[in-house]
Amino acid sequence: MIIRWVCETCNKRWIYPIEKCIYCKGVITKQKGTKLKVIGITKVNIPSPMHPIVPYNVLLLQDEHGNRLPKKTMNDYNIGEDYIEKIAKTNDAVAIVKVKYDIYEAIKEAIGLLKGFEFDSKDKILIKPSIVTAAYSYQAVNTNPDFIDALIRVLFDFGIKKENIIVAEQALIGSDSKDAASKAGNLDICKKYGIEFMDISKGPFKEMEIDDYKFNVFKEALNRKIINCPIMKSNFQLGISGAVENLSRLVDEQTQRNMYFDDITITLPKLVKSLENIFTIADATNGMQAQGPLALGEPAFLNLVLAGKNIYNLDTTFSEITMLPLTRWIGIPAIEKKNLEVIGNSMESLKYPLKQANPNDNGHPDIKIIDGKACPACLNIMNNITTRLVGLRGDEITIAIGAHIKESELSNKDRLVILGDCAIKSLAKTNIASAAKIDEKTDSVEQVLLMKKLLTTKGTPKITPVDKVKSKMKKLLSKVM
Amino acid sequence: MFIKGVGMTKFGIQEDPSVQLVYEAATEALDDSDISMNDVDAIVLSNMDIRSNGERQRHSASMISSLFQKKMPIIAVPAGCAGGGTALWTAMNFYKNSSYKNMLVIGFERPIANTSKRVTDEILMGGERIYEQTEGLNFPAQNALVAQQYMLKYGATMDDLALVAFKNHKNAFLNPKARFYKKKVTLEEIKNSPIYASPLRLFDCSITCNGAAALVLSKEESDVEVIGSAQESDFLAPFEREDLTSWHSTVKSAEEAYKQANITPNDIDIAEIHDAFTSVELISYEDLGFCGKGEGKELIRKGYTNLDGKMPVNTSGGLKAKGHPISATGISQIYELTKQIRKQAGDRQVSNVNYALAQNIGGAGSTVTVHILKKAK
Repeated sequence: MIIRWVCETCNKRWIYPIEKCIYCKGVITKQKGTKLKVIGITKVNIPSPMHPIVPYNVLLLQDEHGNRLPKKTMNDYNIGEDYIEKIAKTNDAVAIVKVKYDIYEAIKEAIGLLKGFEFDSKDKILIKPSIVTAAYSYQAVNTNPDFIDALIRVLFDFGIKKENIIVAEQALIGSDSKDAASKAGNLDICKKYGIEFMDISKGPFKEMEIDDYKFNVFKEALNRKIINCPIMKSNFQLGISGAVENLSRLVDEQTQRNMYFDDITITLPKLVKSLENIFTIADATNGMQAQGPLALGEPAFLNLVLAGKNIYNLDTTFSEITMLPLTRWIGIPAIEKKNLEVIGNSMESLKYPLKQANPNDNGHPDIKIIDGKACPACLNIMNNITTRLVGLRGDEITIAIGAHIKESELSNKDRLVILGDCAIKSLAKTNIASAAKIDEKTDSVEQVLLMKKLLTTKGTPKITPVDKVKSKMKKLLSKVM
Repeated sequence: MFIKGVGMTKFGIQEDPSVQLVYEAATEALDDSDISMNDVDAIVLSNMDIRSNGERQRHSASMISSLFQKKMPIIAVPAGCAGGGTALWTAMNFYKNSSYKNMLVIGFERPIANTSKRVTDEILMGGERIYEQTEGLNFPAQNALVAQQYMLKYGATMDDLALVAFKNHKNAFLNPKARFYKKKVTLEEIKNSPIYASPLRLFDCSITCNGAAALVLSKEESDVEVIGSAQESDFLAPFEREDLTSWHSTVKSAEEAYKQANITPNDIDIAEIHDAFTSVELISYEDLGFCGKGEGKELIRKGYTNLDGKMPVNTSGGLKAKGHPISATGISQIYELTKQIRKQAGDRQVSNVNYALAQNIGGAGSTVTVHILKKAK
């Protein structure tokens, strides 16, 4: 489809989403061209960072209004041929649509390309964005508020009433969900449309047992159609944080901890079984790469929307196009690339390597991380500490996090810091000596102060009364500021 | 307004930092004009702030102040590959309402300092981000689609494009400042070069390089006068435009420049045309009025624009073979035309040059300047 924004009065047209004609102040309407013909084609043999795989073709398409658009494809066409966008054949297809300045149209197009997913005006909807920490969306794994705004408008188009829509999320354990949603800009979107934002951590929950594993699942998630809106990002534990990972926060805090303690790659697919009605519309408008969130992650500016019913297929597709590794979910059959049905844009035409996440790319050549599948709470602490000390050099320190650390991984580590309750608990019965143990109850400022001492001084420094005063002062100051 | 002096570095892959390139070109221009930096009242410069070359120097105007140790009005006018021409056009317009006597106009660029992929990416940023960059429409691809439409419409061939490349390489062979100076390229090599973006081959594309060029523009009479100066912009993406095979910005800026100069295209003796791609040179023959629509191929086939032809084009070797250091290109065109008018062009000297034209393009016809020079004395 080719879209132009056209003035109803003077017929000027734009390739950008303009709201009012700057010449005659006339009303702007979207002109959509759907009958596309190939009027030009070039085979490109020069790779570039965004387009590393050659050769590829760029078609020059023209619609019934005479509007034109370049389109990259790996397929061969002839001049004069019709260009027809294929619709999904199976329910497991993944649609990938490029955002041409208009997220709303991209979401609509993605839904239109898919088979077997329809909204009814009486549907009750739970929009599950990703909002993990109090930061602007491009700084963290936080869904773009413009994306949520566009999605809500699409739902309204289906006749769904605002009373039947909720946006529900909980930030990483230890962070305030509403603060995070507010900073990310999503709370304002909810207010704009009169839609309730629900903090999942506050429940209510329903206890469920699935495949011999107990979950406290957010009740609303069981009663509504879930529109899963992850932000697509690199993740050092799972390869990517995407459609599957985003569902892990539909349970209470303790369940989340347990799920990671008992291996998230086993437990999360079990949780997913309890959630019947999931449709993923993934936000890769910005996306994110490298070791984020915050200081060491960076937006990837992908300008994509991915959509589909099969969350595993969707993540696999994203992993293919970004060349990021992907964890193997236990109990879920491996997905072969050749069996993926991808529509809208082919994976090959979109391939563009993103920077992988690596906890040791933390801004400290002297801080090494050994991850034992840490839970979000411990990860949050680790990120908080390493982000705040970026650039500080010292004697090498190894931080151990997570419940699944092998003793052998920690041998010969002179200065070991055991971080988070999971690691402390799992290593309690071993003879591993550590320079410090930092639990989750320790004040966040004190955690940073202690790590700073560990990095820059010898021995086994402790939190002192002076540190505690400093911590209190800092908190007071932050409230005043 | 008069061109009092011109200077340029050799275009190539030298490691010199931008400040040194600028200093070298400006020194030559000042020496050529027989004035000193003390006599310069203002500077207009152009540069694209290439981020991958490691210089991290966004505030180029003040950098130039430091370089010349002089406090005066300095303005930077980045305009993609049309930067040099736009800097000259800006300076010409400044004069209208100022008491300046001498202005220094500088274009400089140092893109070749990183991997080919990074440099390609830098240049890709000149295209429309959402509609073109994400669809893999780099500059060769963008111009390939234009060239294809042109060839389909007017029957031009890849052999015609090869003739443009061959002509410009032959000229660059004679130009000591050119990237391809004394480097022989045969027609066979051009025709057998790999396809970059069909129908364009490697040798249909200009060569990016480092360099700087400068000129002294003055109210004081000298041997070269600027009698026409025009600039026109068009939509960023060619696919938005009604006609892909004729670039409005060239047509309009040429019309305006001829009007100011009170001459017609027939009066032009030589031209430096923005041959970022060989197809652009053919299209520009037509848009500049040197022939009718679709007749550009005839000019190259008949040798009309060869060094010994009726109206030589790109005697310097053009962007194709002299080289294309983005913002420096437009000023380097004026350098060549000035040398030709003064009969200082050495082995590539054209006889009896009275009127000369420079066309400088940013993007695929997105920004175009046309300047017309006249032999004044």
